[in-house]
Amino acid sequence: MAASIGAAPCRTLFRRSCGKRLSAAWGLLGGARGLVAQGETHLGFQTVPEAEKEQRVYQVFESVAKKYDIMNDSMSFGIHRLWKDILLHQMNPYPGTQLLDVAGGTGDIAFRFINYVRSQREYRLRQKLKSHQNLSWQEISKSYQEEALKPLGGSQVVICDINKEMVKVGKQKAQLLGYTEGLSWVVGNAEELPFDDDKFDIYTIAFGIRNVTHIDQALQEAYRVLQPGGRFLCLEFSQVNNPLISRLYDLYSFQVIPVLGEIIAGDWKSYQYLVESIRQFPAQEEFKAMIEDAGFLKVEYRNLTAGIVAIHSGFKL
Amino acid sequence: MATAVAALGGLRRASWRLLRCPAVVRCHLYSSQRTFRASAVVSKISDEQKHEPPSSSSQQHFETYPTGDQPHQEPRASRPSYTGHGGEESEDYESEEQLQLRILTAALEFVPDHSWTADAVAEGAKSLGLSVAAAGMFNSDGSELVLHFVSQCNSRLSELLQQDQKLVQLGQAEKKKTDQFLRDAVEARLKMLIPYIESWPQALSILLLPHNIPSSLNLLTSMVDDMWHYAGDQSTDINWYTRRAVLAGIYNTTELVMVQDSSPDFEETWHFLENRIADAMNMGHRAKQVQATGEALVQGLMGAAVTIKNLTGLNQRR
Repeated sequence: MAASIGAAPCRTLFRRSCGKRLSAAWGLLGGARGLVAQGETHLGFQTVPEAEKEQRVYQVFESVAKKYDIMNDSMSFGIHRLWKDILLHQMNPYPGTQLLDVAGGTGDIAFRFINYVRSQREYRLRQKLKSHQNLSWQEISKSYQEEALKPLGGSQVVICDINKEMVKVGKQKAQLLGYTEGLSWVVGNAEELPFDDDKFDIYTIAFGIRNVTHIDQALQEAYRVLQPGGRFLCLEFSQVNNPLISRLYDLYSFQVIPVLGEIIAGDWKSYQYLVESIRQFPAQEEFKAMIEDAGFLKVEYRNLTAGIVAIHSGFKL
Repeated sequence: MATAVAALGGLRRASWRLLRCPAVVRCHLYSSQRTFRASAVVSKISDEQKHEPPSSSSQQHFETYPTGDQPHQEPRASRPSYTGHGGEESEDYESEEQLQLRILTAALEFVPDHSWTADAVAEGAKSLGLSVAAAGMFNSDGSELVLHFVSQCNSRLSELLQQDQKLVQLGQAEKKKTDQFLRDAVEARLKMLIPYIESWPQALSILLLPHNIPSSLNLLTSMVDDMWHYAGDQSTDINWYTRRAVLAGIYNTTELVMVQDSSPDFEETWHFLENRIADAMNMGHRAKQVQATGEALVQGLMGAAVTIKNLTGLNQRR
């Protein structure tokens, strides 16, 4: 990882100048939702200069980092665990997969990935032993030894987050839960990833991409670091189509969640920002178009919980 | 407000397409790397794949990125059709469907080791130089792999039958009788299963999954139709249906016998097939016999009834 960071500067310079051109033109054409002036973007329902958004979002997550998991559970009644499980199930990683989890903060996706790979590997080993009925004792013990040496089958996950506090909380959680191998933690910006081209098999970003200032740049970075054939998966809050559920959801979001934020985490404003940023994020079809613009093919999305959350998937082919 | 937002969204998307022109310069760097890999890979597989234009591979991949827009503007990528000959495009670049077919064909090599699962597809993608995550494009239960294989076998059978027909037309071979022809056709088709016969029961079970039944039924009926067509069936009545139903039954039962056959070179299976076809042929004769007998019987009964009426005097008009 250190070597790739060293090689990154020249590439990041190019990327930044390219990004400025694109973002300026983007600002010219009126921005994502509603009208923003050139060089400005949304921070929830406020309008702020682009340069400021990154800093403000950093502060938001710095302040919520310690209570992030508890708040997730209380806001979604624990359903966020199901969403993340469904994401892993859709991913169906094969042994030896290199996963990059961006905005992975407290490591939920990464830990689930490791669990999945481990259980799959055990299952496959059992199947293999079942099919070879005439193995000698030496062969059986050798296969168990191999399994002990490489319990993950070569799969690895790199967790990248821009916020040092979130990474710290994530590392503590990993130690607590006993995840020692197959994990790497990197502090980096999704718009300028400190990795080489064509490195990863799967890129996931769960509930992180709406906090990125330039979503298109993040998508292009995702395209860059993925191998040919690699998969982009994004789990994110999205627009609800059903009008009844939409009304209930809006009521819940704006009346209940900031209050919970104040009670549990002592931070009303951060959770106000959270629910506002969900409303500002593009809808399913629009986000799918953005992913296709970055160059991904076979882009599909799947609504979970009536559209409250959507999983977008694309391939670099 | 909503319409303004929508209009802005559309305008933004249009501007994205324009703005990608400078981005294309960057992409040529990527695609040049891929062309090398891709051309090496395509030359390896081109002799196996019959449906692709193999020569202009470097051209294809070079144009894939800038013209990558076109596939997206269609409605959400349609699954490759299993009833025809795969997604053949008239354009010169490789579409998603063609790439999917290539991955599935490469995955067939790994089926003996991994059976008909997503693992085999992942290994197939790896062998083509793609990431193993490309297997995520397919169903995670391996159905698309099995359906692709069956469709491929059916195409091969069609070609074989067509070649034989040409030979007969050119006069270089004798025209076979129907039962011999059908026997050879079914035998040729079943012999294509021999490399995968160990894992074929799993494939059969996948084909019988409810969401796969429409496709697998489609494949079976088109194969049976092909066989009868080349056997020279031109019936236009109920025979059309009965013949195909009977042949489908023969094929399925022979397939099941083959799966558990352990005789050398599957002799038992071919023996069974011979008997079933003989039965089917005889059935035709027997049906006619039964009908003739039935008619004769009915006429006899009518005659007896008239005689009795005459004897009892019921027929006289007074």
